[in-house]
Amino acid sequence: MKEKLTTLEEALAPIASGSTLALGGSLLRRQPNAAIRSLIRRGVKDLTVQSWAATTATDMLAAAGAISRFEGIYTGMFSYGLAPNFRRGVEGGAIAVRDFSETAMVARFRAATQGLAFLPIKTLLGSDIARHNPEQIRPFSCPFTGEPLQAVAAAKADFTIIHGYVGDKYGNVQWPIVRDSDDIDQMIASAATRLIVTVEKIVPHEEIKRRPTLTYIPGNWVEAIVELPYGAHPAACDGHYDEDDAHLTGYLERSRTPEGAQTYLDEYARSVPDHDAYVAKVGGLAALEALDVPNREQTHA
Amino acid sequence: MPENKIDLAADVATMSPTTNEIVTAAIAREIRDGDLAFVGVGTNGRAFTLAVGIPLTAVRLAQMLHAPSASVYWGNLLEPDLSSMPADLKQDSFTRWQAAACPSDTGVKCDMLARRAFDVCFDSAAQIDRFGNLNITAIGDYRNPKVRLVGCLAQPEHFAFVPRPIVVVDLDRRVFVEAVDFITSVGHLRGGRSREEAGLSSGGPQLVVTDKAIFDFEPGSRQMRLRSLHPGVTAEEVFDLMSFRPVLPEQLPATPLPSMQELDLIRRVIDPNRVLLRV
Repeated sequence: MKEKLTTLEEALAPIASGSTLALGGSLLRRQPNAAIRSLIRRGVKDLTVQSWAATTATDMLAAAGAISRFEGIYTGMFSYGLAPNFRRGVEGGAIAVRDFSETAMVARFRAATQGLAFLPIKTLLGSDIARHNPEQIRPFSCPFTGEPLQAVAAAKADFTIIHGYVGDKYGNVQWPIVRDSDDIDQMIASAATRLIVTVEKIVPHEEIKRRPTLTYIPGNWVEAIVELPYGAHPAACDGHYDEDDAHLTGYLERSRTPEGAQTYLDEYARSVPDHDAYVAKVGGLAALEALDVPNREQTHA
Repeated sequence: MPENKIDLAADVATMSPTTNEIVTAAIAREIRDGDLAFVGVGTNGRAFTLAVGIPLTAVRLAQMLHAPSASVYWGNLLEPDLSSMPADLKQDSFTRWQAAACPSDTGVKCDMLARRAFDVCFDSAAQIDRFGNLNITAIGDYRNPKVRLVGCLAQPEHFAFVPRPIVVVDLDRRVFVEAVDFITSVGHLRGGRSREEAGLSSGGPQLVVTDKAIFDFEPGSRQMRLRSLHPGVTAEEVFDLMSFRPVLPEQLPATPLPSMQELDLIRRVIDPNRVLLRV
């Protein structure tokens, strides 16, 4: 097995402006926020972002002016309302959106996983989602029954970034036994061309080997793995810690204006050299541990 | 017009029903034994009550009264325990909500939708039109929107594949529009058989439940039709809150009030802390 453990900066180094980036996480869970702050720090721009239910990671990238195109099922802030920076980007014309429903996005990632150019769906017949996107959603007839179907183009990304729970130095990443599974991270990972995973904790390979059915991202698929405790902050990592309500509230407060959003990014992304410095900035590990869920230490037991 | 405020100290038997309770009981009567209902994860405040609070309370009420084997798919939990709902909206409360199944990813739910495994679903929207088409994507021109909304989630799937969708939304002129700016979910499209002609299976939204009245859709034309008025609400009041005129039935009854038993279950057993029907 090849060792893939590296630093965040090394792992993200190949991602250049103009890339297509698939992001894992769903709503306020496991958004790869630490990785996104690193990309913002480096000034990467002109990204096409593919995502499931996008919140903080996509909205911060939008605030940085780093997204030129978004393809996904949702962008908002879950219980906190609309995504202010993404909304400004779309309404101002900086971000072009291609909307997809859930079955459509699932079909797109499954097609990429299977090495196919498309998979069929029949969800979007008659909808404006299809009408506005003839490039990626095309009508055809079922060759067996003749019924109308729609081909949705594979979601092929140059790079995929997922924040996972725990993994080993070989890139094997595992689920806890009890988790919130309302996401498609495994599917996004299986569709990846170059997969970068950040995890809460690196654990010994011996622990991974004892319970291989919990490995949802095999190291075989992974290019680089990075240990980033609280790497989803200010979003949650289910089974590990909850979302940071005070920080999210502050983010939204500042994001009411473009200038306010820039001061946020300056403070929490651009002026901090790395994730350790970010953790120190938000009060250190002791402050973040206050977000830990009860019995966190038993999450992977 | 009943309000939603409730005095928990008051005698349950003597307190008159709130609008949320009237609506919840009305929806509960639509749930049949054996139904599988999709409920979304919602947001907060009033939007949470509409998308999550009222639907979960209604299905639980149906389970306790006439539909013991009705069940819910919520988030990615199949058959969560509705007798013990999360006490707050933090992630860990969702993570630890007990359920019969928590499939390995949401693709499982998508597949179940596409093969028509659901009977009922609940949807809310920023706009709904005469033919029950929904918009949760953008207000104004799609390519140059006045307001960019959240996108589409699985709401297109709900209307495409679920036989009995129920829309829960407050009556408002900006919401009830002649034609939605963007069709996220195809309802009865342009009326008549246009939905079927677009290749979709028959179905589409069945009920639109609001804080003033309940609507269904007229067979044939598939236009939205007023079905009942909540107690104390007039038809004129309803028309004033809509940008189009709904079809009027020959008889316009009042929305039935919850029974004492229904009220008692909602208040003391299902939602004693007023988490689900708070606002």
